[in-house]
Amino acid sequence: MRFAIRSTLRAALVLGGLVGGVGAVALAQQGTVAGRVTDQANGQPLAGARVTLMGTSLIAQTNVEGRYTLSRVPGGQVTVRASAVGFGAASRVVTVNPGETAVVDLALALSPYSLDEVVITSTGDQAKREVGNSIARIDAAKLVETAPITNVTDLLIAKAAGVDVLPGTVTGAPSRVRIRGTNSLSLNNEPVYFLDGIRVTSQNRSSGVCDVGCAPPSRINDLNPEDFESIEVVKGPAASALYGTDAANGVVVIKTKHGQPGKARWTVYAEQGAISDNNDYPDAVRGWRSSTTDTSAAANSRPTNGTQCILTQVASGACVQDSVTRFNLFQDPQTTPLGTGHRQQYGVQVSGGSDAVRYYMSGEWEDEIGQTKMPQFAADSLLGLRQISAVPDDQLHPNGLRRTSIRANVSANPNSRIDLEGSTTFITSKLRVLPSDNNTTGLLSNALGGPGNKTNGRYGYRAFTPNEMFSEAIGQDINRFIGSGTGRWRPTSWLSFRAIGGVDYASRMDTDLCLRDNCVNFATIKTGFKQDDRTTFFQYTLDANATASFTLSPTITSRTTVGGQYFKTKNDLSVVLGENLAGGATTVTGAAIPTVRESTTVSATVGGFIEQQFGFRDRLFINGGLRADDNSAFGKDFKTVWYPKLSVSYVISEEPFFPKWSWINSVRLRGAIGASGVQPGTTDAARFFLPQTASVNAVDIPSLVYSAVGNNALKPERAREYEIGGEATLFDSRVYLDVTYYNKRTSNALIARQLPPSAGGPINRFENLGAVVNRGIEALANLHIVDKPAFGFDLTVNAAYNTNFIADMGGLPPIIGTTTRQIQGYPINGWWQRPYTFNDANGDGIITANEITVQDSAVFVGYANPRWEAVYVPGFDLFNKRLRIQGLFDHKSGYYQLNGTERIRCESRLNCEGLVDPKAPLWEQARVVALRETPSRTQWGFIEKATFVRLREASATYELPAVWAKSFRATRASFTIAVRNLWKATGFSGIDPEANYFEGATGIVSNFQTSPPPTYWTFRLNVGF
Amino acid sequence: MFRYLTRLPLRTPLALACVLALPALGCTDTLLNVTDPDIVLGANSAASAIGLANGAVLRLAQAVSGTQGPDALFMFGGLLTDEWRSGDTFIQRNTMDQRIWDPTNTFNAGPFRNLNRVRTQALLAIDGLRTYQPDSLAAIARMFAFLGYTEVLLGEHYCNGIPLSGVSGTEVVYGDPITNDSMFKLAIANADSAMTIAGSDTATPRLKAARFAMVIQGRALLDRADFTAAAAAVATVPDTFHFDVTHSLNVNDNQMWALNASARRYTMGDLEGVNGQPYVTANDPRIPRKIGTSTKDDPIFDTSFPLLVTRQGIWGRTSAVAIATGIEARLIRAEERLHAADATTWLSILNSLRTTTTLYPPIQAGFTRGPNLTALTDPGPSNKDSLRVDVMFHERAFWMFSTGHRLGDMRRLVRATTAGGYGRADSTVYPTGAWFKGGNYGDAIQMALPVEELNNPNFHGCADRNP
Repeated sequence: MRFAIRSTLRAALVLGGLVGGVGAVALAQQGTVAGRVTDQANGQPLAGARVTLMGTSLIAQTNVEGRYTLSRVPGGQVTVRASAVGFGAASRVVTVNPGETAVVDLALALSPYSLDEVVITSTGDQAKREVGNSIARIDAAKLVETAPITNVTDLLIAKAAGVDVLPGTVTGAPSRVRIRGTNSLSLNNEPVYFLDGIRVTSQNRSSGVCDVGCAPPSRINDLNPEDFESIEVVKGPAASALYGTDAANGVVVIKTKHGQPGKARWTVYAEQGAISDNNDYPDAVRGWRSSTTDTSAAANSRPTNGTQCILTQVASGACVQDSVTRFNLFQDPQTTPLGTGHRQQYGVQVSGGSDAVRYYMSGEWEDEIGQTKMPQFAADSLLGLRQISAVPDDQLHPNGLRRTSIRANVSANPNSRIDLEGSTTFITSKLRVLPSDNNTTGLLSNALGGPGNKTNGRYGYRAFTPNEMFSEAIGQDINRFIGSGTGRWRPTSWLSFRAIGGVDYASRMDTDLCLRDNCVNFATIKTGFKQDDRTTFFQYTLDANATASFTLSPTITSRTTVGGQYFKTKNDLSVVLGENLAGGATTVTGAAIPTVRESTTVSATVGGFIEQQFGFRDRLFINGGLRADDNSAFGKDFKTVWYPKLSVSYVISEEPFFPKWSWINSVRLRGAIGASGVQPGTTDAARFFLPQTASVNAVDIPSLVYSAVGNNALKPERAREYEIGGEATLFDSRVYLDVTYYNKRTSNALIARQLPPSAGGPINRFENLGAVVNRGIEALANLHIVDKPAFGFDLTVNAAYNTNFIADMGGLPPIIGTTTRQIQGYPINGWWQRPYTFNDANGDGIITANEITVQDSAVFVGYANPRWEAVYVPGFDLFNKRLRIQGLFDHKSGYYQLNGTERIRCESRLNCEGLVDPKAPLWEQARVVALRETPSRTQWGFIEKATFVRLREASATYELPAVWAKSFRATRASFTIAVRNLWKATGFSGIDPEANYFEGATGIVSNFQTSPPPTYWTFRLNVGF
Repeated sequence: MFRYLTRLPLRTPLALACVLALPALGCTDTLLNVTDPDIVLGANSAASAIGLANGAVLRLAQAVSGTQGPDALFMFGGLLTDEWRSGDTFIQRNTMDQRIWDPTNTFNAGPFRNLNRVRTQALLAIDGLRTYQPDSLAAIARMFAFLGYTEVLLGEHYCNGIPLSGVSGTEVVYGDPITNDSMFKLAIANADSAMTIAGSDTATPRLKAARFAMVIQGRALLDRADFTAAAAAVATVPDTFHFDVTHSLNVNDNQMWALNASARRYTMGDLEGVNGQPYVTANDPRIPRKIGTSTKDDPIFDTSFPLLVTRQGIWGRTSAVAIATGIEARLIRAEERLHAADATTWLSILNSLRTTTTLYPPIQAGFTRGPNLTALTDPGPSNKDSLRVDVMFHERAFWMFSTGHRLGDMRRLVRATTAGGYGRADSTVYPTGAWFKGGNYGDAIQMALPVEELNNPNFHGCADRNP
């Protein structure tokens, strides 16, 4: 394997040299090209424009006066091209005489869509026209100023077709990102993230502190979106092949803000916001009964007991229902745990510099208190119980996040041939986690499970009250440093080198503390405990490549890149847990029963690649590449994995034969095919034993436990994808259309193959079996319908459709869960359940078990993830574009969700309408009876269509007149009022189809006692100096 | 071509590119050589062999009384019987308590896998011990006894057609399904091996292993209705013998305490489903218990039902569980006598146990024991001697509460007399009628082999559901 990589890289270097040699003959004499780039509309200089010499590696950036210089330019005829964000490119052919300077001034015209827009690829920056695959670009810098963006995930939600984001629902909660469907049955399906060229940790799992019932934050949300310039989403293997093993789920490439030459430009912003939960929570319902002859608690409903008369008992004559009562503790001011949260953030950014050195620095402080609060009765209870004058604020508001981040980027050009960049980020945050979800001692497990009256001794809560639950302090502290350096060297006009190195280090401390006698009275919790988990994450990146660029003929250009990468990840975890705390003790040291544990995860990848691009007349580009990887997690019998790619980009509208209709500005066709992979877990290939403590004859002694079967042939999953599509810019760039079809097949699918329990080994073993297919269409339309100074109206629509199915299970039997199954020919995590029919045969208005017919076997109900997503973004510009009003409607459909909250309310909380209320519709009654009283216990009736439309974002931004800004010495000022999750429409009968938490590698979602998305209102002020 | 390249002004950059690449080319082995300190890749030493044997002890504790969610066998199997009731909201526990036959119950695989883990670990330990510690006869004998013990439990708890698979290197060796009776034969053979290896040495470890094997063999023979051989197998086991699995704070909690006394997810059964034993109302000193009285501290975990928990008082958090005892040996002998129509000796054995108060199990602080037992009187002959059989199985149920014996006993009661059973109807032995959380009891009389076993190509479901 190692030999294979070595051979590959050697061959690549030689090939690069050979190809390079062809054009090098012309390099005998050199000159200079210099000039100025301006805005065609007003003649103003454009700073930061990118000027390239076509067919060479030479590149320059304009300074504050719009000037640039390209030195060491080969003599003869050359083409100079300038491009800038928001402008169309301009180019000119000029003859360069040796030893002389050719002056080329270029004026760029405003254009929202340009094929010369620069995109980031694994081998460096390239013009969009050269890239044969779809890359979605998100203008992060603009969005953070004008939309309700509170974290990185908010930047991704509903912003790019084919990128499905399930957002977190409480402060600090994680999000789940799926790009072009779910690829893997058993491995992580999240994309990988690159920040300024280095890979960064994006884990969204916990260390074990409250890992069930608390949402472990996404590490990617540590990053400050205010520092981002842009996000580019590389959607699939067709594009991500050269990112190597692990990139099959897509790559999110983040580019941070960098300084531009010129005097210091300051930006100050302040944001204040309110968070509220405006969702409808279900009533707790109760059917009361009393007996005139039997006074026992079993026969008579009491506020403090669970005796009820439910509908099927009424039907059978087992009891007579006196009355039905309802109580909704979320609507009672005394009992509701919902309040108004608060958000604030303040930041400052400064950038500037000279032609030689530029800088960008920022700092931000952010504080968010979630909407959950301790109800008044619970606070009063604590005051009395603990004899304190005030309840600690972190118990009154048990969910909050405070974060500080600073960033510094420095770019330097010691000379025209060398670019150096250094970036550092430091983030420190403190999160207080809300216990919720699938959690015995969590909020909604108790708030939604109450007995339907307020007088049960717990104010309508089921088993525990907020004063007990919120006394458990679950926290996560993060200290994170990300540092990277990039060097570019262009020793000749045709050759350039790039090297990037960096480290992402995160220190995470998860803590969970219950003081003695302070928390819930359940199991051993009452005696107090403290858990303290400390994890360090290291993610190292080394990336170096060399690019040779030539003009092979007047019409053909060549670009050859050879490079290598090294990634290493190492996570170390130390866990200490102490039970039975001394009164007042807050550390493990104060516990009578301490236990300790440690674990380490480490993996490394080495890869090499070569990429060759040929351009024809600057409108047809053919790009081929090959990457070879080895990874420490591969089985010892498995050698190198190879990932090829091939893409074509064809700006057909620039062909002479293409009709020159005035309404067509540009048309590009593109296609790409490529492969990438996802590596197995770090120890998945190994047969090993775990050292554990055993109690032998009541003495604790060490033991070795057989724990993994191992698989010597283990290799990465391989995802092959092809995509075809095209873009068109029409009607003076007022219409932009982009359509892509993709077809992705993940073969050698790593399946955690269940081993027969009779083998007496681990539960499963990873094997390369089977295949998963994702197919779909993505479309984007930007329409500038009215574009007048006084009024503008634009509409952006992006839509995506995905079909997902398991093409091959490798001969394995179906993997059967309680409600989901993995079956060949059906989607991953598809819902399966035994359906039923019902008929109120006796017409008594009550469905009983004998009026339900349940099918003998489970059938496929539907997809677990949205098949369709359509996003509509209408925008209005008013008052000479000073005021912009914009909305974002997000529509997801084609999938089902198990209404797990209602299921448990009906099944064991016994407080749902369908169980108790004779006015409940028959379908509601039927699903309860099918669940509780038929032998099948089918949950079919609770698996519901989850289609919804949500006003995800709405905002209004007003740019103050310049004279107003000048009055306080500012160059610009604006304010934005924005709201997130203001409105939704859905037929889903649960609280919200997105009230989900997710778990496991594949991210199966559970709509189970989880908080629904809250509404964020924010007011933001931006001032530039 | 190369000569041509050397003339160009690109020698320097190309050379630099090569230099930059060389470290990566030359040291990929080093770069990829990562060590995970959490795992042990080989177990090839004397110390490792002992470690593996200790691991088998850990696996045994996990299997019978040391795990939850899925639950250990003594608790989860006890739900199906009359020993335990589900006080929980988990559907897996509820369906088992309701006797719903459901191979897809996601708690099914746990205890079945854990029992087999004991087998696999014991086999690895035997290999290791024989290679590196051949003189550790007590340990080797104990490992064979573990094999026999798990085979008895498998045969008593699960339907016919149980495969016994294994591993060889990195390969899974798929087992063929065998009947319960074949499982008992295997247990008898492995117990024999254990006794042979332990020999007649009277040193405590070997003697203990031998006696453990005797009880296992007697139990398996009883399951095969070979009463005479069963009684003979256990004849020399003293009344006071007990082989324990132990628990500790560092290893795992005793789940009879954790799931019942602590978390209230299980509550003791009492006359469950018409036919159940009066584990609570009998106020028997062999099962100290406490009936909950506080609506604040004692409701079952599933607070939707107006039921207060009944806690057992035999086991605390770290209490040992006696899985094979001299009491069981005597009960085997008593049943053999009953079968031989020697009611006098039968009753004498039972009464000797009942009136020896030192044989009563330990009692946890805060619990009170019922009054000492008195001698039973012979109920006298009856049709199929059913009254004496009732007494026999009542005594077994109370002496061996929640130790994995009850389900096998219930199956023997409903097994056809031609197959060595007592030929009773299911409806007279298992909980029946209305289940307390709604609906009726189902028809499961043993535990289903889990659906996960379908990953064994030789397995296609239970061969039958005969008792």
